[in-house]
Amino acid sequence: MNNKKSQWLALPYAVYAVIFIAAPLLLIVLYSFCTDPQNGIDFTMENFVRFFDFANPMYMQVLWRSIYLAIISTIICLLLGYPMAYILSQLSPRVRGVVSVLFILPMWMNFLLRTYSWMSLLEKTGLINRLLEALSLPSLDIMYTQWAVVLGNVYNFLPFMILPIYNVLIKIDKSVVEAAQDLGAPPYRVFTRVIFPLSLGGVASGITMTFMPAVTTFVISKLLGGGQNTLIGDLIEKQFKVTGNWGFGSAMSVIIMVLILIAMNITPGDKEESAGGTLL
Amino acid sequence: MKLWKRLSYAYSVLIFLFLYAPIVVMIVYSFNAEKSRAKWGGFTLKWYRELFSNSDIMEALITTLTIALLSSIIALIIGTAAAVGIANLRKGPRKWLMNITYLPMLNADIVTGVSLLLIFSLMGIELGYVSLLLAHVTFNIPYVILSIMPKLRQLDPHLYEAAQDLGAPPVLAFFKVVLPEISPGIVTGFLLAFTMSIDDFVISFFTTGSGVSTLAIEIYSMARRGIKPEINALSAIMFLVVLALLLVINLRGGKDKKGAENRPVSVRARSSAR
Amino acid sequence: MSKELIRLKDIVMTIGDNEVLKKMNLYIRDREFLTMLGPSGCGKTTTLRIIGGFATPTAGQLLFEDRDITKVPPHKRPINTVFQKYALFTHLNVYENVAFGLRLKKVQENEVKKRVGEMLEMVNLGNYGERTVSSLSGGEQQRVAIARALVNHPRILLLDEPLGALDLKLRKEMQLELKKIQQHLGITFIYVTHDQEEALTMSDTVVVMNKGRIQQIGTPIDIYNEPKNAFVADFIGESNIIPAVMEKDYYVRFADRGFECLDAGFAPNEDVEVVVRPEDIKVVDEQKGQLRGVVESTIFKGVHYEMVIRANGFAWLVQSTKAEEVGQEVSLLITPNDIHVMRKGVAEHE
Repeated sequence: MNNKKSQWLALPYAVYAVIFIAAPLLLIVLYSFCTDPQNGIDFTMENFVRFFDFANPMYMQVLWRSIYLAIISTIICLLLGYPMAYILSQLSPRVRGVVSVLFILPMWMNFLLRTYSWMSLLEKTGLINRLLEALSLPSLDIMYTQWAVVLGNVYNFLPFMILPIYNVLIKIDKSVVEAAQDLGAPPYRVFTRVIFPLSLGGVASGITMTFMPAVTTFVISKLLGGGQNTLIGDLIEKQFKVTGNWGFGSAMSVIIMVLILIAMNITPGDKEESAGGTLL
Repeated sequence: MKLWKRLSYAYSVLIFLFLYAPIVVMIVYSFNAEKSRAKWGGFTLKWYRELFSNSDIMEALITTLTIALLSSIIALIIGTAAAVGIANLRKGPRKWLMNITYLPMLNADIVTGVSLLLIFSLMGIELGYVSLLLAHVTFNIPYVILSIMPKLRQLDPHLYEAAQDLGAPPVLAFFKVVLPEISPGIVTGFLLAFTMSIDDFVISFFTTGSGVSTLAIEIYSMARRGIKPEINALSAIMFLVVLALLLVINLRGGKDKKGAENRPVSVRARSSAR
Repeated sequence: MSKELIRLKDIVMTIGDNEVLKKMNLYIRDREFLTMLGPSGCGKTTTLRIIGGFATPTAGQLLFEDRDITKVPPHKRPINTVFQKYALFTHLNVYENVAFGLRLKKVQENEVKKRVGEMLEMVNLGNYGERTVSSLSGGEQQRVAIARALVNHPRILLLDEPLGALDLKLRKEMQLELKKIQQHLGITFIYVTHDQEEALTMSDTVVVMNKGRIQQIGTPIDIYNEPKNAFVADFIGESNIIPAVMEKDYYVRFADRGFECLDAGFAPNEDVEVVVRPEDIKVVDEQKGQLRGVVESTIFKGVHYEMVIRANGFAWLVQSTKAEEVGQEVSLLITPNDIHVMRKGVAEHE
């Protein structure tokens, strides 16, 4: 396809992308420096000053809680997900196909439905507590706490950790593993010296793909965390949906974008390889 | 070795239990005659009947499906043309355009949603069906492009020339030779866009206006107001539909033997939960 | 001759319903360069994998210096492998790839440095230590793979078609280099290839395999000059293989006439096959020849011409430095020396 004319086929998309992808993001940045962007453009640092107010660190506390809960969720996902990805990758290709379909099946259910179902499981009179009661065990009262938010995060984003790791693991050439054995590595050394280092790319994209939705969610915190566990996502949602303070909302969106950029840059490894897997 | 096998089996079962527990619970409750979840009141299909007579839910279902279908088709047309065009661009502009394409995938949905809300209000587009459709097209196009690009890269560069050499004019050569070769990517892109669209909540939440709800938005507001048992019935139906879809897709994928055994499982880079 | 090092005893390998190796018996001497040669699917790679410890045979024993090592895992065998596609560790640089085995044995750091340095020097990659594996060419990766295996001082080095991915010129160079390394280090090499020329160039001993059975074991010269059966004759070089009848000792009949030959020990009138190499058939003056034929095609091959000559119902492949014209009548001479008689359909160890 070396037809120079056909490059113009990209033009409609280029125009669309500038209007609906690039411009909106620039608009967020612009609005974040405005007092009241709906009624006119000015320049102010007020929105950021308000957020990073050390006298009243309310917003910083919310940001910290978002990051903290996201980190905990990501760590749990990694601890639970890596072994699962490894087990999956060891299966024979035929079994693997079936099992991995079983794995993505819950992901294809609307996540609101699944999260809502956790509400009914975790309630004071929910199924889990009735089960514990029946076994005369102490009841589990985590609904509307931080732990419920963590659980919701882990539940929803665990596949995002497992799948990139799994995709990297199945691509590791079997002969590389054999080469390590050949050179004198017993099984656990083969894992620590070869398999794990080679899977770091997958771990990195798993971490980004879990951390990012966890730190920006507002649905999970609303449904499972109740009112007390506000996250940065809730704050943004409130600015645009309730209070109408678009300047402040934009400023927080900018902060989230910066956070994502930082998170993507501090996780090591080559992410593109594993994250780029095609669907289906 | 045996112990290791048993341990990994047990572990897998636990993880699967964790993933499926909420879904099973929903499906079981969808047949519960008792409205309260506190007790089992016997088997009933009442909630399924009520689901279909609930006009809010049915309307949201139609909105969801039409938005998904329309936005995928539009994204498919713009995206396929874009992919072919991008493949022929010089390196500079190509990189530039691809980086913009990655933005919605890498960015948090909440930021994408908010940014679209801002541009719609700036352009004077009233929030409603049209803005919702535009938003869905926006986040669908990158998936179409990224599904087709690898196929274009695999394409033998001489194929198109060969067709012309044999007497096909450029446009015909494209439709006769290039399009069939990249069609698996187009199909994948379409299915991906369609499911992304159905699954989306956050972006829709910020870009829709009063009176227009998708299913996800409807569920969200219900879940906050107090949960109706119809949602359980809806979940059960959706689960079955998804199961059927996956089976169909896998049968389709089964025909494509090449590299089937190490086929990576898709990761939906963007989750509606963000 | 040096002593026996490793022995395969009645090795059977079944994968699914497929018997990949059928009661294989083979011993390999210390310091020997042994090549297993055969078409793909003949079982040569499976044999190598059994020796390396990557596959466990269905039945039979693997003896290393008379000790049964059939069930010893690969990491405990004094054997190292150069893999087909090198299998280098992409997360480590060249130096660390070579040092991998030594690190596992907890060899002291200065000793590691010394040995890795020497090894890289030997494969002409002296200052490549810090390079990433992916920045190397195919030939260089190949050398790293060899250094990585040899640095551990294995008793046996297994090489699974290691030169398959290289271009012709590089392959020839590496063949000579491998042979030199083997002689220099005095390590047993077991080499697997489907390239007969490679096998004949490098080896002390060639094992020709087909369909899970050893067809012939011998020196390259033996294998070429005295193929035991049609398969070996056909696989090693080009040849004319003709059905024949051994009328009596030193006299064989084929192509409708009798020929003097040097073979004996067959039953009277036993059905046999005769191999005549194309370079051994001479185009001669009319009176001197035994067969009369017509030239069907002539192709220039660089060093010689290759002709197909139809005579007495057979299309004979003939090589000669002098070209004959297509359609011309010629006379062919086959001397007793050039006739090799084989039993029909015989494989060794049957």
